[in-house]
Amino acid sequence: MSTNPRSVSAPARALSFLARLLLLPALLVGVWWWAASGEGSFYLPTPGTVATTFGEVWLSERFLTDALPSIGLLLTGFALAAVLGVGAGVALGLSRTLRDLTEPVLEFLRAVPPPVLVPLLMLLVGLDSTMRVAVIASGCVWPVLLNTIEGVRSVDPVLSDTCRVYRIRGRRRLTTLVLRSASPQIMTGLRQALSIAVILMVISEMFASSSGLGFAVVQFQRGFAIPEMWTGIVLLGLLGVALSLLFGQVEKRVLSWHRGLRATARGG
Amino acid sequence: MNRDIRTHSQEGPDVLDVNGLRKTYASAGRAVEAVHDLTFRLRAGELACLVGPSGCGKTTLLKCVAGLLAPTGGTVAVAGHPVHSPPPDMAVVFQEYGRSLFPWLTVRGNVELPLKEKRLPRARRNALVEEALEAVGLAASASSHPWELSGGMQQRVAIARAIAYEPRVLLMDEPFAAVDAQTRADLEDLVRGLWQRFDMTVLFVTHDIDEAVYLGQRVLVLSSAPTVVQDDIEIDLPEQRDQLTTRSAQRFTELRARVHGQIQQAKRAST
Repeated sequence: MSTNPRSVSAPARALSFLARLLLLPALLVGVWWWAASGEGSFYLPTPGTVATTFGEVWLSERFLTDALPSIGLLLTGFALAAVLGVGAGVALGLSRTLRDLTEPVLEFLRAVPPPVLVPLLMLLVGLDSTMRVAVIASGCVWPVLLNTIEGVRSVDPVLSDTCRVYRIRGRRRLTTLVLRSASPQIMTGLRQALSIAVILMVISEMFASSSGLGFAVVQFQRGFAIPEMWTGIVLLGLLGVALSLLFGQVEKRVLSWHRGLRATARGG
Repeated sequence: MNRDIRTHSQEGPDVLDVNGLRKTYASAGRAVEAVHDLTFRLRAGELACLVGPSGCGKTTLLKCVAGLLAPTGGTVAVAGHPVHSPPPDMAVVFQEYGRSLFPWLTVRGNVELPLKEKRLPRARRNALVEEALEAVGLAASASSHPWELSGGMQQRVAIARAIAYEPRVLLMDEPFAAVDAQTRADLEDLVRGLWQRFDMTVLFVTHDIDEAVYLGQRVLVLSSAPTVVQDDIEIDLPEQRDQLTTRSAQRFTELRARVHGQIQQAKRAST
């Protein structure tokens, strides 16, 4: 049963959608404002103060020196993890022997929390951006790897037989059958990796860096520039949302067949 | 429309030669014999139906013939060449049409894919794809995705893909078991039409006696597992068949009764 879509006019529906979308954020900002307007709230500036400071801090050269390089490192680390994770995941997914050989090591490495690698990598590759990329990649690679293995292993046997019958092998089999079959799981892995990447970017910069978003937040906090510190947090939140929306667009394009397939499967 | 490129060698009268085929599945300390000892031959251009009680190892047999499964004993040869892996001049239409088409490719993409792997030039590929889609009545759906089509249409796509591949032997594994009765009748007529139009040998596996008699020039009746060929019946119905007159013909009923009797006998023998 579905309700008649024509019963409500289009502008009214758009308005109600917008209201539902913005109700909770507006409420939270309201609560924040109320809490911040009280006495002695030095550490909690009002949203108004944060908004004004945001403009001063980030719509300036600082965006180029602190924000953009961070985003660059984040994307580099993420891309590296994606390539490594998908590459190794396909190899491991296709070969049982390789899986058996590597399983204990992978289980161990996966269990090591990536932030703990920061001190080690500081020693190994130094304090520069290579270290930050290495930390991001080493944390992001696991969800991509594990989801890719799962995806490659769950290739439909009938489709696999079809490829054998029509003698589709090698590269074409890899691109037409294996990677496409696994793409829903690969995208799930990449999405998880993306949020891990943001976390690791900030941690690596807080720990050991003289620039970047994480560094800026810590620096503001140490200098008691509290509204500025808050703007850093807001900017990181906005960055996360932007990346997620961007990823959603890519996913929509890559997995359009998957959504269509699932929609028709549900429809019967 | 004729296919002038196609030059089938006619010197070997047997296109498919299955000799003493045996398949045993080993599982947890006990061996299950699915196919006991199967021997049959198909002449070039023949349309033969394999029919047998459910669970008699039809799919196992077909997979062995297709080179997808290694037999425990015996040999399969296509045009004189022993089959160890899927041979180049064989196409298979699976029962699970929904799972044998690539959901991320369009109808056209699905039909064209094997031809790309064959390294045919683009013009030739296009001609084959057009012809195959037109032959199954799907020319208008070339740019749809398989999941946008009904079950019967999806199976037509799989059939078009097989036809475009220009196989010498076409194997069909209960291809219409999952479609409704009306679609099934249409698809049966489609298969006979395609077989007459394109020069190929068809081995059609089914559990449906009527379907086997209606379609085939020959019906091979299989026993229950462990499977052997129980009977080999020549279907002497006229070449031009249609759902109404053929199925109500006296001869059809006789042949149907004979196949039915053989299958009942096979079932009794196994219990």
